[in-house]
Amino acid sequence: MLLDDDQVLIEKILDGSKLSFEELMKKYNKKIYNFVIRMVRNDEVAIELTQDFFIKIFSVLHKYNFQYKFSTWAYRICYNLVIDHIRKNQVYVDSLNGDNISQKRLVESKNFISEDGFDNLEKDEVKTYLWKTVDQIPMKYRELILMRYLQELKYDEIAEISGLPVGTVKNRIFKAKELLRKEIEKDGMFA
Amino acid sequence: MECLRDEKIQHYLEKSLSSVEASRIRDHLIVCKKCQLKYQQYVQMENGLADPVYTEPPAQIVKNVMKRIYVKLPTYSSIFALIAASMVLLVSWIYIYFDFSNNSLIQALKLTSNSTYNWIGQVIKIISNIFSSVYAIFKSINKFFEIIFNVNIGIEIFGFSVLILSMILVYAIYLLLVKRSGKQKI
Repeated sequence: MLLDDDQVLIEKILDGSKLSFEELMKKYNKKIYNFVIRMVRNDEVAIELTQDFFIKIFSVLHKYNFQYKFSTWAYRICYNLVIDHIRKNQVYVDSLNGDNISQKRLVESKNFISEDGFDNLEKDEVKTYLWKTVDQIPMKYRELILMRYLQELKYDEIAEISGLPVGTVKNRIFKAKELLRKEIEKDGMFA
Repeated sequence: MECLRDEKIQHYLEKSLSSVEASRIRDHLIVCKKCQLKYQQYVQMENGLADPVYTEPPAQIVKNVMKRIYVKLPTYSSIFALIAASMVLLVSWIYIYFDFSNNSLIQALKLTSNSTYNWIGQVIKIISNIFSSVYAIFKSINKFFEIIFNVNIGIEIFGFSVLILSMILVYAIYLLLVKRSGKQKI
């Protein structure tokens, strides 16, 4: 069987290579942490959950089936960990229901002006605003948007991770984007 | 043609429509300013979403996980030191218990080693000296207890303590070796 990069690393980890696990962590750290922090919206909890995720991955790595893609398997573990935490702690972090967002001003905007100046600044502002709006949409939409764009997963992979039918995943992502578009338009943030 | 629903525009953007339907939407977009604007907003959003704003994860995550997963393994030198210590203690105990200092065989060996200059004789001499020193230390400790606490513990009890201590050391060596050979359990 032909192994991909992740699977080669996993084989080395199972053989006791410490460096390979560090490499695997560094590869996924950014995407996992960003997914978690956007789901729980708390720095400390996000750090704790990300650490728990890697420890969990390490402890169940021997159960990983090489016939499947490692990233999908790992993201499912991450998703379950986050959902469990949210359920246990009764953290309901949805807030986009009408005018909430429109009152929020863009606090941070990257001071980035490139050669063609204004256009890029505007684009960057829209992007920052867009991602801030993503943080505010209801969780059932947000989790799918994060999986689709932050973790760069395909619809069928998201369906596998979330346990939803592919059709539902697609519809919810469309609905989420409609919600985002309307919010951004309402605030006049489109370039 | 009626204005396009958001969902239709998104399908069009994802190229998930039939060619007939896609061309109908394209035609509509050419003539309808409202839908054109909506389409452009979706394009802009799609670009923004495809290029996420990432927060840099704190460096402590990797460090903490590595520390928690990979516990420091014992070094070979520490294992060898323990083996040496337990060997000395075990043999000392045998020496004391069987009173080897007065044993005729040992005396004979000592005499042989004194008269021989080969390496076996030298080794016997060294071992015998080490044991004599350990024996002397035990005697001194015993004397110390006798003077301070007025108790005579007896060389046998010291010998027994040495035996127990050496057993503990042997067990510690076993644990360390198991830890090393297992590397990190997964």
